[in-house]
Amino acid sequence: MLKKLSIAAMSMALAMPVFAEKEFEDHNNMMDHGDGHLMDMTGGMIMGQNTDTLPGGCDSIAATKEITVHAGHKYAEKFPGRMYAFDVQEYQFEPCTKLTVNFINDDSVRHQWMMHGLPKYLYPKGMFHMEVTGPGKISGTLIFPPGDKTYLVHCDIAQHMEKGMKGQLKIGKGDGDLPSIPGVTAYVIQDDYSDSKDDEDESIVEAVTEEMTEIKEKVVGNDSFFSGITIIGLAIGLIMAPLLARRFKDMTVGEVLMDVLGLVKAGFELISKAILWLIGLVKK
Amino acid sequence: MQKNPLGILLGTAVMLMPFSASAAVSLPKTVEVDRGEVEAVCNENNPEWREAQTIEGVEIQESLRCSPDNPYSIAAEVKGTNNLSMEAVMNTHYAIDGIIKKNDMDGDGDPDLIIIKLEVAELNGHSPDFKGVVPTFDIAPGIQPAMWVFAPKSRGMATNSFVGVDANPLLRAPSPVIRVEQGDTIWIQLENTHYFPHTIHLHGVDHPFIDAKGEGNDGVPQTSDKFVLPGQSKTYEIRPRTPGTFVYHCHVQTHVHLAMGLVGMFIVEENRPNNWVQTFNVGAGQVRHPAKAILERFDSEYDLHYHAMDKELHSIVQDYNDPRLIARKMNREYDMTDSTEDYHTLNGRSFPYTLRESMIVTEPDQNIKIRMFNSTGEQLAMHTHGHKGTITHYDGVEHNPIAQITRDIYDLAPAQRNDLKISTIDDGFHSYGEGIWIFHDHREKGITTDGMNPGGNVSALVYKSFLDEIGMPKGIGESPMQLFTKKFQQRKLPVWQNIDSWNSLGEVDADGYVAPPASVAAAPDVTPGSAVNIPAEEDNAFRNLIMGLFLGLLAYLVVVKREKITALLSSLKGG
Repeated sequence: MLKKLSIAAMSMALAMPVFAEKEFEDHNNMMDHGDGHLMDMTGGMIMGQNTDTLPGGCDSIAATKEITVHAGHKYAEKFPGRMYAFDVQEYQFEPCTKLTVNFINDDSVRHQWMMHGLPKYLYPKGMFHMEVTGPGKISGTLIFPPGDKTYLVHCDIAQHMEKGMKGQLKIGKGDGDLPSIPGVTAYVIQDDYSDSKDDEDESIVEAVTEEMTEIKEKVVGNDSFFSGITIIGLAIGLIMAPLLARRFKDMTVGEVLMDVLGLVKAGFELISKAILWLIGLVKK
Repeated sequence: MQKNPLGILLGTAVMLMPFSASAAVSLPKTVEVDRGEVEAVCNENNPEWREAQTIEGVEIQESLRCSPDNPYSIAAEVKGTNNLSMEAVMNTHYAIDGIIKKNDMDGDGDPDLIIIKLEVAELNGHSPDFKGVVPTFDIAPGIQPAMWVFAPKSRGMATNSFVGVDANPLLRAPSPVIRVEQGDTIWIQLENTHYFPHTIHLHGVDHPFIDAKGEGNDGVPQTSDKFVLPGQSKTYEIRPRTPGTFVYHCHVQTHVHLAMGLVGMFIVEENRPNNWVQTFNVGAGQVRHPAKAILERFDSEYDLHYHAMDKELHSIVQDYNDPRLIARKMNREYDMTDSTEDYHTLNGRSFPYTLRESMIVTEPDQNIKIRMFNSTGEQLAMHTHGHKGTITHYDGVEHNPIAQITRDIYDLAPAQRNDLKISTIDDGFHSYGEGIWIFHDHREKGITTDGMNPGGNVSALVYKSFLDEIGMPKGIGESPMQLFTKKFQQRKLPVWQNIDSWNSLGEVDADGYVAPPASVAAAPDVTPGSAVNIPAEEDNAFRNLIMGLFLGLLAYLVVVKREKITALLSSLKGG
């Protein structure tokens, strides 16, 4: 067992050359699996390849074009807030154009150049799709159908389109612009960039308001000395003070007390009279 | 006749009183809440995938659950995508270079150089184009927290089809279980397809600090590694000498990246001749091609990965698209010390979805190997009904066989692994006999989905005699139908709706309900010593009024007589 392991360790050195820096790979020797599906063993793939079948409505190939599309993290630099992008976001071709796309991946991860909405009788699932594990190059060809239409081209790896790897390809005049194309159209759903610092201030205000409310509740609460009734009493006191001052002018403390007592007595007499009157009413 | 209309009116009112009174004092009525769409208990049944079979020489065990793993994927995981026919690989979502196996360096019949490629995928992520998340991965009906996972390298679309937005089967939680053979040379190639930097730290796995090229190999940016930036790739190189149940996880902003789901089980199987191990167990659960050493002692093997999520953290990436904003919210504004875990999952799903994928299916007199892993932030207390399991290994290290503990609660600290041996011998100790025996966290929040029970990390150990033809347990209890509705998961369905013929514990409809005047309390109990002396609440209004009056007058006096008071004060000072 140990011997076997040591043999394995020795032979590891032999395996080392495999573990080298990723080199640029030209995926030009792919196996044809039929139906326009080409693939190799190192991560290159094309689906929907069509070099010679004319779509219905095209009498002939209107033009033969070739483009080179780069994909990678670095192309997002000119679009702040994006992470991945193609080097070009918009293309335009005549209907019935035969287009060859040289797709170059400048990253060390998988990227795709995927197009939807093509006629399904010609392109399986209506799709033309190139995929390559970078860094590498892959070339594919398709023939566009007639009619003005805007096609979405994107990388379908999770979040790559959402984070910028998206473009549009117009055939003829196209039929409008697609949303969220970096540098071309805006997001449908926008991010909220309101400064977090403001949010914090707001929340402080809220917190203070909350605390004040709490304190107020405590202060104005029924069981406290400083109740709402106290405040009302305070107000009445302040308003009545000058009136009382006039009434009690030039009186001694004793006289004032006697006067107040007299007032209270009169008040009580009034109340008891009222009660007696009510009792009398009931008796009747 | 018309002499006393008032008397007649009063008389009528008195006579009608019994009827009006019954309406006036009744409580609000009961209503039945529409539970909405009920999902199929088992939604995707591929009957042919459930059978025991051999694909291109790879033996695959039977898997009777509702959603079995695709056997072609298992064949790719065992042989490597490079040794499998193109037709077979086309039946999977694997990239053609996803798992490379070659170089039988010791001549024992199995490959000794294993190249594993991992990408990073966001599940239930944001789209700037529509309201909704993509690609979707429901942990329970309608429950879609955003997650990050390491995923095997796939090819084609992130979604399962061209019409839906559900993720393809390789993009799922948890991050896949990685299985290798002791002594093999393993290259783990992290291809960072995500928009943030990540690394891989091999927790517990034998690995050198510096690899053969002089690069850091421990995955820790503070000590050994550079960030693996978006679009970049990095290879970790190991040759593990010790077998066991270990872990791999991202070590960048670990507190949130691990919680988001960048964590998985890493298992090193004992070295045996001609031992082709199943490199990935996607979605964890049953290992349908167990390693040689496992089959020597066990009939079946299961990987159980427990995770938990705080919905505040897991919604950040759904609320924003700009990676700079997400980084700020996640790294600086989210405070994990104030967090609570809301979703509790087993193998990426919560009950009842766990019944589709993560059941343990068994027969009497079998031995089952279970590897449990806790990637939540808290201690777990896993409990098995009907069985007492023996903990054979802690953190991948065998416990002294004489001292091994057999129990029914297995506590798991965060990041801890327990290997369990469950025996189905009906001896009243190891097993109480055949049945549907659930197993779950016994911290009760663990059996909820955001507080809604039943949910969370509950699953079941089910004997074949209790399994129906679509792979669901033949329960004899209450119907699980309502659990398969979004309404239940959204807390809109009364848990006990229609519990009996007149829905006695149904929803209250208090719309327009006006409570009748409260009745007068019955005479108090005057038995000596029976009443507690509670002081009546004092009414302080009059006292407060007088006090206010007094203070008001005082204030007026102070203002009016301010000159005298000042003079008095200064004379006192001067005196």
